[in-house]
Amino acid sequence: MTNEAAAPRPAKAPNANKDKVVIRGLNFYYGKAHALKEVNLSLHEGQVTSFIGPSGCGKSTLLRVLNRMYDLYPGQRAEGEVLLDGENVLSKDLDLNLLRSRVGMVFQKPTPFPMTIYDNIAFGVRLYEKLPKSEMDARVESSLRRSALWNEVKDKLHASGLSLSGGQQQRLCIARTVAIAPEVILFDEPCSALDPISTAKIEELIDELAGEYTIAIVTHNMQQAARVSHYTAFMYLGELVEFNETNDIFTAPRDKRTQDYVTGRFG
Amino acid sequence: MDRARALGRLKFSDSGFRVMTLASALIVLVLLAGVAISLFLGAWPAFREFGVGFLFSDAWSPPREKFGAATAIYGTLVTSLIAMLIAVPVGLGISVFLTELCWLPLRRPIGVAIELLAGIPSIIYGIWGVYYFRPVMQSYIQPFLIGTLGNIPGIGFLFQGPPFGYGVLTAGLVLALMILPFITAVSRDVFDTVPPVLKEAAYGVGATTFEVVGNIVIPYTRVGVIGGVMLALGRALGETMAVTFVIGNATKIQSSILAQGTTISAMIANQFADADPGLFTSSLLALGFILFVITFIVLAAARWLLASLEVKA
Repeated sequence: MTNEAAAPRPAKAPNANKDKVVIRGLNFYYGKAHALKEVNLSLHEGQVTSFIGPSGCGKSTLLRVLNRMYDLYPGQRAEGEVLLDGENVLSKDLDLNLLRSRVGMVFQKPTPFPMTIYDNIAFGVRLYEKLPKSEMDARVESSLRRSALWNEVKDKLHASGLSLSGGQQQRLCIARTVAIAPEVILFDEPCSALDPISTAKIEELIDELAGEYTIAIVTHNMQQAARVSHYTAFMYLGELVEFNETNDIFTAPRDKRTQDYVTGRFG
Repeated sequence: MDRARALGRLKFSDSGFRVMTLASALIVLVLLAGVAISLFLGAWPAFREFGVGFLFSDAWSPPREKFGAATAIYGTLVTSLIAMLIAVPVGLGISVFLTELCWLPLRRPIGVAIELLAGIPSIIYGIWGVYYFRPVMQSYIQPFLIGTLGNIPGIGFLFQGPPFGYGVLTAGLVLALMILPFITAVSRDVFDTVPPVLKEAAYGVGATTFEVVGNIVIPYTRVGVIGGVMLALGRALGETMAVTFVIGNATKIQSSILAQGTTISAMIANQFADADPGLFTSSLLALGFILFVITFIVLAAARWLLASLEVKA
């Protein structure tokens, strides 16, 4: 039990050939605007899939479908199928809170909660598990270690999360996400508000988390996509143009639009 | 040359502007000091006659020239406490509903209705309280309270006595209604300032709406919420007309909150017309001075609370 609390890792060993998330015929609407058109795609278990494409192409929207974040806003709706381990995420009877504990999300801007560093991490854990203090301490420590933040904050766990620098805040958000042991982690341009050093740290972190978690990352930075992901999806105007292994997307794109985008001719 | 002249002119008008704004700001201080000093001077005969005892004496007998402020202070504090106990949770509840849960097309109408409620003059709450609310209190609510809570040992004494309709509880409830829109409007506005992405992050770790509000929205906005609550408390402490109409204006302290009582402002409003110059008038002014001090303390406490919260955040 103690070990389990100390090491929040997914229960099963990942299998890279397995499709963790399967998206079939997905359409998404902001009111009347058709933001995603017939998207078909699979996220492989324990692999990093990056989504690239010009602004407004629907890549963040796609991410927000995966944990039903769009549900908070009336007028936004999705049609089609998104299967997480075979279970349809878009189904009406799905327990949203449970879904979001299985599919964690890290946002563009760091979003520390207005509480202490310790509580930022314990908050999500407390929602699902009643851990004794010592196990909670261990969970907080291991999550902070996994997000490479422990050494910087171990002496001020009870300071406000808002007192950290931007890069540290973002790693705190990652620690918070990891702490509840999700199966999938969604990164929505996690480095766009960070300096190059912090960016490098986050990328390293994603690299380490891959293998254990199924990761989807939206990025505007093509080098980043090339560095961190196994698979890359290029989206344009709400359509999935091309999806393949990252190497192939960048070295041998099949679609003209993909080639133009990755070579910097537009976007 | 032209430029130097233009600059010189600007300099002149700039310093003129500075003097004008400074003067406006100083007027506030001068007025405040003037009110405080004149109140204190007017109250001085009463303070000299009764000393500190004025604060703790519940006597109020114009013929015998015996005056004390305890009844009025007690009524002021208890009615405000009742009002806050009801209005704060209900007001926060309404604003949570409006910002987090309400069906979008309904948000604006409900929001506007609340703002209108805040704009109703207090005299209207007063006559509504007397003609419509008091009979309801007398026929239904007070008998019900006497029959139920009144029998509970420990707190029963708060709910005993005949149901007059008029009374401290009635005044507290009317006050609650009056300050509710303040608390609601202010907290709704500050709840709206919470970045959506912060709420999304909390929903993203699997929190429910209740958990998001309790752990994210309210802590994030606590400074603004406390500001709104204190504004409302300030209004409740000083509210005169509506309270005077429904509190019963009895100048003695009773343990039951169903009993009639008075507040500082109700006492002044009721009695100043009959007051003879001398100790009676001076005692009323002394009441005014005490209200002034209570309000000042409330505001100062709010400032202090906000400052200490800001340090922690």
